[in-house]
Amino acid sequence: MKTERSAPRKKRKSRSDLRVAVVFLSPLLLVYAVYFIYSIFFLGETSMTKVGISLRNAVDVGWLNFQMLVGDAAFSRAILNNLLFAMVSIAVAVTIGFFIAVALATGVRARKLFYLVFLLPALIPVSLVATVFGGMFQERFGIVNETLRSIGLGALAQSWLNEPGPAFAVVATLFAYLIGLPIMYYTADLAALPTDSLEAALLDGAGTFRIMRSIIYPMMTPTHITVVLSLLLGSFRGLEQVYFSTGGGPGHSTEVVGSYLYGYINSGGKTIGFTAAAALIVLVIALIISIAQMFATRTRKGSR
Amino acid sequence: MTATAKQQKRPNILTANPMSMVVTRGADRLVIYGLLIVMGLIFAFPLYALIRRSFEVGGINNYITLFTDPIGNVPILSTYVNSLFIGVGHAALVVSVSTTAGYALSKLQFRGRELTFSGVLLFLAVPGTAILIPVYHITQQLHLFNNYLGVALPEAALTIPFGVLLMRNYGRNIPDSLMEAAQLDGASHFRIFWNIFLPLARPALANLTVLCFIWSLQDFLWPSMLFTNPDLATAAQAVKLYSNVIGQSPEQYGRYNASLVLLAVPAVLFVIFGLRFIVNGLTSGSTKE
Repeated sequence: MKTERSAPRKKRKSRSDLRVAVVFLSPLLLVYAVYFIYSIFFLGETSMTKVGISLRNAVDVGWLNFQMLVGDAAFSRAILNNLLFAMVSIAVAVTIGFFIAVALATGVRARKLFYLVFLLPALIPVSLVATVFGGMFQERFGIVNETLRSIGLGALAQSWLNEPGPAFAVVATLFAYLIGLPIMYYTADLAALPTDSLEAALLDGAGTFRIMRSIIYPMMTPTHITVVLSLLLGSFRGLEQVYFSTGGGPGHSTEVVGSYLYGYINSGGKTIGFTAAAALIVLVIALIISIAQMFATRTRKGSR
Repeated sequence: MTATAKQQKRPNILTANPMSMVVTRGADRLVIYGLLIVMGLIFAFPLYALIRRSFEVGGINNYITLFTDPIGNVPILSTYVNSLFIGVGHAALVVSVSTTAGYALSKLQFRGRELTFSGVLLFLAVPGTAILIPVYHITQQLHLFNNYLGVALPEAALTIPFGVLLMRNYGRNIPDSLMEAAQLDGASHFRIFWNIFLPLARPALANLTVLCFIWSLQDFLWPSMLFTNPDLATAAQAVKLYSNVIGQSPEQYGRYNASLVLLAVPAVLFVIFGLRFIVNGLTSGSTKE
């Protein structure tokens, strides 16, 4: 493909469509200038002040907000939680998610129904899914405790959302539940998988699950990388998963950066400067993961 | 793999059986079915819990009263309409910006094209919460609070990096020869874009449009920050609005769950009828070329 493309490009090396390109790119540049570039400058400026959401009468405080942020255990806890929740969803996606995608690609009956069941949770509003999860684990009427009591395991019933450990488990389960996107990535790349090495393995008499584990799994390494990075980024984009299930509590034990920022912005106090400083740090983390993703996909293209 | 072969292959992602030969024994097939059914039941369990709860106390009346006596005077149907209007703005903004930029980044020759593309991708994963404060300020300056466009704009800003990636990847798969022929005939880039590129890019546009609607339906962040008027509440936002009004008493809990079921309906319909577009769209940004 590369040789195909480079030939005509060389031919018109002298030609440049720069002027036309600027016209075609101008809507994009406008959006980027306002929503990303200006936003970053605005965050930088605001992060040096003490101000409310009205953004009026800002008081200059220098680097104080960043100093406070470094000392804030809840913020570092939120970043750590983002990484932990991402790890849980990654672990589930590269095992169960991978298996679901392969199993459905082998051609089963009612496949469309299966796809709906596995992909739907990730495509309906997260606020709704998280609310349902919170309801399921409610102490008195939640279906989880009800079920435990009805099968004689009432001792295991507990106030899931009010204890740090169980609350953490609930949110982690929710993140693991929302693996529709990885299943889609695997499904798409399986459809483009070269089948010759599978045929060779079949001739060797390898069994179904051995082929899945020893042949297909390693062949999907680029997809695994895509899955890991997209879930990592998705975790830092997450808000509703926590906000609608545990609200970040108890304490800040299930807080993620999304719910942390959202909570401070809606707190009504003069916390906007402080939150802008936190937002800048979150933005830097997201950009670093983005750059990692760009390098990962670039090597992928090169290796092909 | 040639570009055309890939394009023919893509629409069949959900129906192709590339792995059918992997299952060598009938017993293995049974095991696969068994595992899929068990996992399917686990995945469907929250939905079952929700629907069961939605009939508690009031039975079907839980649903009927949502129409006759809407919670907080915000009818479910108006949340559908609000999400739809935002979706239209979101999709229109994303499609117009992404197609023009996608054309420039795949079909025009200029220095710094790849660098520009990398710069676009850098913002592919900006968390909405991280730019919430500046967007709040921008919305204030533009007087767009309680305005559909006010929510559609930041939604579009966060979707556009993905849209450009999608359109640029798709554009690269359109053979240059078509455009070169038009250029020899003296057609301008604007004509080529309008008469050749856009019609050929229709499948990608369909995917992108469906995704914009799904994401508008899912979005809680922007409406919750930029709408203060409950009449404008979207489906995702109403989840919170209703919960605030109705409280958590067991008598009302069934009714609240009934409202959750109904709030999910538009997204579920989109997924049932548009799953192919969604999967093709979401994965075309990631798959190798």
